[in-house]
Amino acid sequence: MPAKKLSQSALALWVRKLIETRRVVAPQAKAEHFAYAPLSQAEDLRLDHDVTILPPRKYLMPPSEVLLRFTRKDGYTSVIEHEPMILFGVHPYDVAAIAQADRYFLHDRPDIHYQTRRRSITIVASDVQNASEDVFAACLGTATVHDGFDVLLTRVGDAYVIESRTPAGDALLALAQDLQEADPVSLGRREQVWEDAQKLLRRQVLKCNPQELPALLDAAREHPVWEKRSQTCFSCGSCVTVCPSCFCFDVEDELDPDLQSGTRRRQWDACLLSGFAVVAGGHNFRKRREERYRHRFYRKAKYLPERFGFMGCVGCGRCVKACTAGIANPVEVYNTLLEGAS
Amino acid sequence: MKKLRMAIFDFACCEGCQLQIVNMEEGLLDLLDIVEPVEWREAISDQSEEYDLAFVEGSITREEDEQRLKDIRQRARILVALGACAVNGGVNRLKNAPDMDEVRRCVYGNSATMPHLATAPTKAVGEVVKVDFEVRGCPMSRREFTYIVRCLAAATTPVVPTYPVCVECKLRETVCRYEFNEVCLGVVTRAGCNAPCPAGGQWCYGCRGLVDDPNVNGAKDIMDKYGKTVADLRSRMELFNSVEARQCQGQ
Repeated sequence: MPAKKLSQSALALWVRKLIETRRVVAPQAKAEHFAYAPLSQAEDLRLDHDVTILPPRKYLMPPSEVLLRFTRKDGYTSVIEHEPMILFGVHPYDVAAIAQADRYFLHDRPDIHYQTRRRSITIVASDVQNASEDVFAACLGTATVHDGFDVLLTRVGDAYVIESRTPAGDALLALAQDLQEADPVSLGRREQVWEDAQKLLRRQVLKCNPQELPALLDAAREHPVWEKRSQTCFSCGSCVTVCPSCFCFDVEDELDPDLQSGTRRRQWDACLLSGFAVVAGGHNFRKRREERYRHRFYRKAKYLPERFGFMGCVGCGRCVKACTAGIANPVEVYNTLLEGAS
Repeated sequence: MKKLRMAIFDFACCEGCQLQIVNMEEGLLDLLDIVEPVEWREAISDQSEEYDLAFVEGSITREEDEQRLKDIRQRARILVALGACAVNGGVNRLKNAPDMDEVRRCVYGNSATMPHLATAPTKAVGEVVKVDFEVRGCPMSRREFTYIVRCLAAATTPVVPTYPVCVECKLRETVCRYEFNEVCLGVVTRAGCNAPCPAGGQWCYGCRGLVDDPNVNGAKDIMDKYGKTVADLRSRMELFNSVEARQCQGQ
């Protein structure tokens, strides 16, 4: 469907209509920050948000998710939890992270829990209006996206250019009133927004092409940066918990009070936590803080690129903000390694 | 399945952890399907000589309490420390810092010399007898208590968090207390409470005790970063983690 144009008031009416039809989750104010939450009225929608505390992955793979119910007598029954939902106002870097999750969970042997939930989610992406102070998405090619969403909203002056890319997106747009054809001026302004995003979403500058990172890391295993920066690491896992590109989980069983039946759950895990690499028998493969700290960067910029062809980081900068010790910033780490390499 | 014979004992404490069990109300009926209380002063009048599962609440502050605890240990197959006082001495441990005679005088005044008030430095239950499991917190969490009872009844090992409170704050999207220029103990305190204090606008007191490997060496750098001192950090740790607070140097 060709791009359309929507005034601000028409946008609000459309969002109202969407809320009547389906569960809409969108960025809203939380203290001085923003968080995705179910939207009950269009007025609470904050398309001007810089970044949310947690990424929208909490809706694709909830922090604690029931996988199955079991009984001692009858074995188990899978539990597939899902609810039709519109993820509204998703920034391009988060759209890119969702595409990465799709790669992990939908290919080869699809994860039925993720797959079912993913199929019931419609994504309305939104180009960034205000850049967060730590963002470096433009360095990683995720300041703008051209696929991975159903609808894209771009603010151009007092109006929005809106474009659907899928039948699910078309169905949402069909609920909008006062849709106009996007005029060439508005489309030109949208091009300008995309061009500006390459500058705006570069608050921190990675001094190399991300494709050079695997080779850089290959030679940096014993670099002093790991020991030095991890000295103040609390192993609190905040950098990972807020990451849109992290999808590691743990699986736990819990018995019901009758001890005859129970629930198996999948929970978010984080490789910075001291127990992450503990295996049966109690051995810990990454016992030292430094090893866990280093692993995160290798995982994101070496192991995943080598296996999947993309970096496990989209440059949102959430980890920079979330780290109490101020040591999580990937750009600082990679740039330090570059200094040594040159 | 044979029910576990359960006993609950209290030492120096406010008995608030036991109260959490009584307050489970209808959840208590589920609990009674798998355990049989045989001694529990706060809820029943029976006494017993033998128990599969003994919960011990409170810290140990008198010599005669040590002997009583050792007797309990001998009669119990599994012993669980219940709540902050039992697990690491809790608030009671505050008194260990100054001179013990002064503590007695300050608290008991003219009665300070009476024999039953011969208070000694506070010990955690684990400093007197072997503890098999812990239910942490002030008060302990009912959810965690029932989970551990279920695990023990089913002879499985309970899995409780070993990571800091920050994980739970992030999952709740609670804005970090450090952003409000407060020293919060969540970064070194064991999770498992679901971080209600920071979510309610209050820094973490550390009532669940510290994680196994708290990064206290990094404390000074972090305090510098937020314009605070190690003394600020230590003063907050005093309440529930006074032993570690005194070890936390680096001024």
